[in-house]
Amino acid sequence: MSTEPAAPVARSSLRRSFARIFSARTFEASLLPIAFAVLIAGFGFARPDTFFQWTNFTTIFGLNAVGLVLVMALLVPLTNGDLDLSVAENSGLVSILVGWLNVNHGWGIVPSILAGLVVGLVCGIVNGWIVVQFDVNPFIITLATGSVMDGIAFWLPNQQTVPGISTQLTDWTVIRHLFGIPLDFWYGVVIMLIMWYVLTFTAFGQRALFVGQSREVARLSGFKVGSMRFTGFVIAGLIASISGIINDGVLGSATPGAGNLLLAVYAAVFLGMTTIQPGRFNAIGAGLSVFFLAVGVNGMNLLGAQTYVQSLFYGGILVIAVVASRLINRRRAASAARAAT
Amino acid sequence: MATRTDPAAPALEAKSLAKSFGAFQALRGVDVTIGAGEVVALLGENGSGKSTLVKILSGYHEPEPGGELRLNGVDVPLPVALSRARTIGLAFVYQDLGLAADLLVVENLFVGHRATSGLRFAAPINWPAERARARQIFERYEVDLDPSAQVGRLRPTSQALLAIVRAAEELREYRQQNEESGGVLVLDEPTVFLPEHEKVFLFDLVRRVTEAGIGVLFVSHDISAVREIAHRAAVLRDGEKVGDVVVEDVSDADLIELVSGHRMDRAAIERAASHGSDTALDAGGDVALSVRDVRGGRVRGMSFALHAGEILGIAGLLGAGSEDLPYLLFGDIAGSSGEITIGDWRGDVSDLSPSKSIRRGMALVPADRKQQGAVSNLPVSLNMLSLSLRSFMQGGVLRLDKLLATANDRAVTYDVRPPDASLNLAALSGGNQQKVVLARWLEQSPKVLLLHEPTQGVDVATRQQIYELMRLRAAEGAAILWVTTDFDELATMAQRILLCAGGVIAGTMAPPYSRDRITSEVYSTTARGARVAA
Repeated sequence: MSTEPAAPVARSSLRRSFARIFSARTFEASLLPIAFAVLIAGFGFARPDTFFQWTNFTTIFGLNAVGLVLVMALLVPLTNGDLDLSVAENSGLVSILVGWLNVNHGWGIVPSILAGLVVGLVCGIVNGWIVVQFDVNPFIITLATGSVMDGIAFWLPNQQTVPGISTQLTDWTVIRHLFGIPLDFWYGVVIMLIMWYVLTFTAFGQRALFVGQSREVARLSGFKVGSMRFTGFVIAGLIASISGIINDGVLGSATPGAGNLLLAVYAAVFLGMTTIQPGRFNAIGAGLSVFFLAVGVNGMNLLGAQTYVQSLFYGGILVIAVVASRLINRRRAASAARAAT
Repeated sequence: MATRTDPAAPALEAKSLAKSFGAFQALRGVDVTIGAGEVVALLGENGSGKSTLVKILSGYHEPEPGGELRLNGVDVPLPVALSRARTIGLAFVYQDLGLAADLLVVENLFVGHRATSGLRFAAPINWPAERARARQIFERYEVDLDPSAQVGRLRPTSQALLAIVRAAEELREYRQQNEESGGVLVLDEPTVFLPEHEKVFLFDLVRRVTEAGIGVLFVSHDISAVREIAHRAAVLRDGEKVGDVVVEDVSDADLIELVSGHRMDRAAIERAASHGSDTALDAGGDVALSVRDVRGGRVRGMSFALHAGEILGIAGLLGAGSEDLPYLLFGDIAGSSGEITIGDWRGDVSDLSPSKSIRRGMALVPADRKQQGAVSNLPVSLNMLSLSLRSFMQGGVLRLDKLLATANDRAVTYDVRPPDASLNLAALSGGNQQKVVLARWLEQSPKVLLLHEPTQGVDVATRQQIYELMRLRAAEGAAILWVTTDFDELATMAQRILLCAGGVIAGTMAPPYSRDRITSEVYSTTARGARVAA
């Protein structure tokens, strides 16, 4: 009735909202963006004339769309609790196939691309079918199918680079710009937003969380666990093939076995798990991480580092990211246990 | 090891063992003595304190101060040091046997003997010699086992024999170091999942083990098995020892009376035996679920009808088949044959699957909440509404805000504490987690609710809330099948009780229902069923 208690209530609710904003969770979620800002500022300070230039950034955006797309391929299988180690080889195979059809066989670029998409899809179907039908470990199966895809990628062009892929493709990937950034970056952003939507705002994505956390619970909930896992591999195959096509556009040629992105995309997807939606594989965090890694590598190159630094960097980040996301989950479990008592 | 052993001392002497969990006294000062070469049965219904006693012996529980334990005349400090069992002359065989199914018999048999430190760690293993040694051991115990066989491919009975031989060998080594005295083998319900006619192999083996002078503590529900091999029976009820009898001197009825605290007259036993079907006590009303001669898992031919608005209790001991029934009816355990009618749908039990069952209006609340009921590191909101996601789709977008708001509403309705559905499920106590699991199924307005041990690990207050909730749902017309080994709960909740033993419905129990009466009927039905089968 009296207005007296209003002031302390307001103050305590203010403190509560303050505590909420600066909770451990928010702190965790903002670690990567902060590290990203520090990284950019650091390189910018060290190499203001080469690193801190808009053209350098547009180059980074344009060159790393391949990784941005490929990392999206991993999200659904990982949320389902499945590892797909064949995505990089799938991407490489499609990239070779599109060039080989276009250059060696004179196919038009559009039919070549369509054929590439179909082959990527088929690779995903094969992975999913073997894993689900025979109930075998996807880790080892996709390692094996990836090797087969790699073999075919060498075999098709007779172990040679396929040069001179249609300039139309290059035109529509890195030459044309939108808001000053090459188109392929925007393709990646669109796919990222689609994956974000699928995982967060559809029943499929939310069910996938259950499939990944507990097959038993998912099965007893009437979810079609087998067909969901199968779908995950098919989506991975399709998206991986898109990244292979973009790679052709960026380079204008296709080289078998060139640039294995597997470790980089796994580093990005686990690093992404520490931000935006901490503890979950999430599209935005993964996309952000791709560019965190790319900027790191770019900056070190400008500082005069050798190419082997990439391997050190990706490997090191993957270890740190996996351990960090593990620690986040463990801390959360501990605070949950405290709350329960 | 230098121990002074008294040859006249009993193999095991425990005094005033007690254990409390908060305000609940699970074990209230129990004495147990096992002589050399003696088999002592430990009898008691679920919650009587049997497993607490075994867990004190294994070192898993720390008993209340004041308890004493002597093994082979040597005082053992309490709590028993974990993993030291072998050096003090104790060996355990649990229901799950603790064997590695993918490994060979010989590998399982000697796994405990491998050196893990020092130079012998790297010493090569002479496999032909190991196999020969295994064969000798099996000959000594007159057990027919192939050392090169893969354990997972053996019959369950052979696996149990292997586990017992392995434990007996540990004790034999202990005796070699202790002037051929002492050693106690604890068998914790090793027979529940074995076929009736094969149990005799196990009994023979236990007799051979005791001939050497090893004492056996035989924890069991199975009165016929106890009668077969035990010399004495110690009976626990509500944490107290209510009887310590020589098995030869007492009847089945005496033992059942000790276990249940209820005297059953001969006429009642006869009556229970004569009920072959459920026709005697039909609840009336529409049939929501009916099954005819369904088989699958440990269910070996059950027929009954469940009516709308009815709470039907299934009373059976572990291994009776009742523990598989809800999963079989839900389509989780593959059914082999039998007809099932759910509402208007009629079909073969082999044709069921969880998703079809859900569409037909069934719900299953499983006993194993952690593995099957819910996902602990996802939010309460998702756990609660994951079956109803479709109703939160608007224009192709899952409305997470509405989902959370609805979940918060439900949290209040079902009194989930704290009522914040954005928390991970792990942040809730066991009782509140169970409310979430129930809420998630009740959201579907199921016509048939299959409950398996729905109040396991749930506090007393929540238990009452769950009872109230289920009564309400039944009054609204839901048909509830309640499968539990908590007979107090059945007495409180069930309007009709079917007795289950040996994979079949062995009879219908006539009211009035009380925990003691149900226990008594279940034990006598099980013992009778076992005799018939053997």
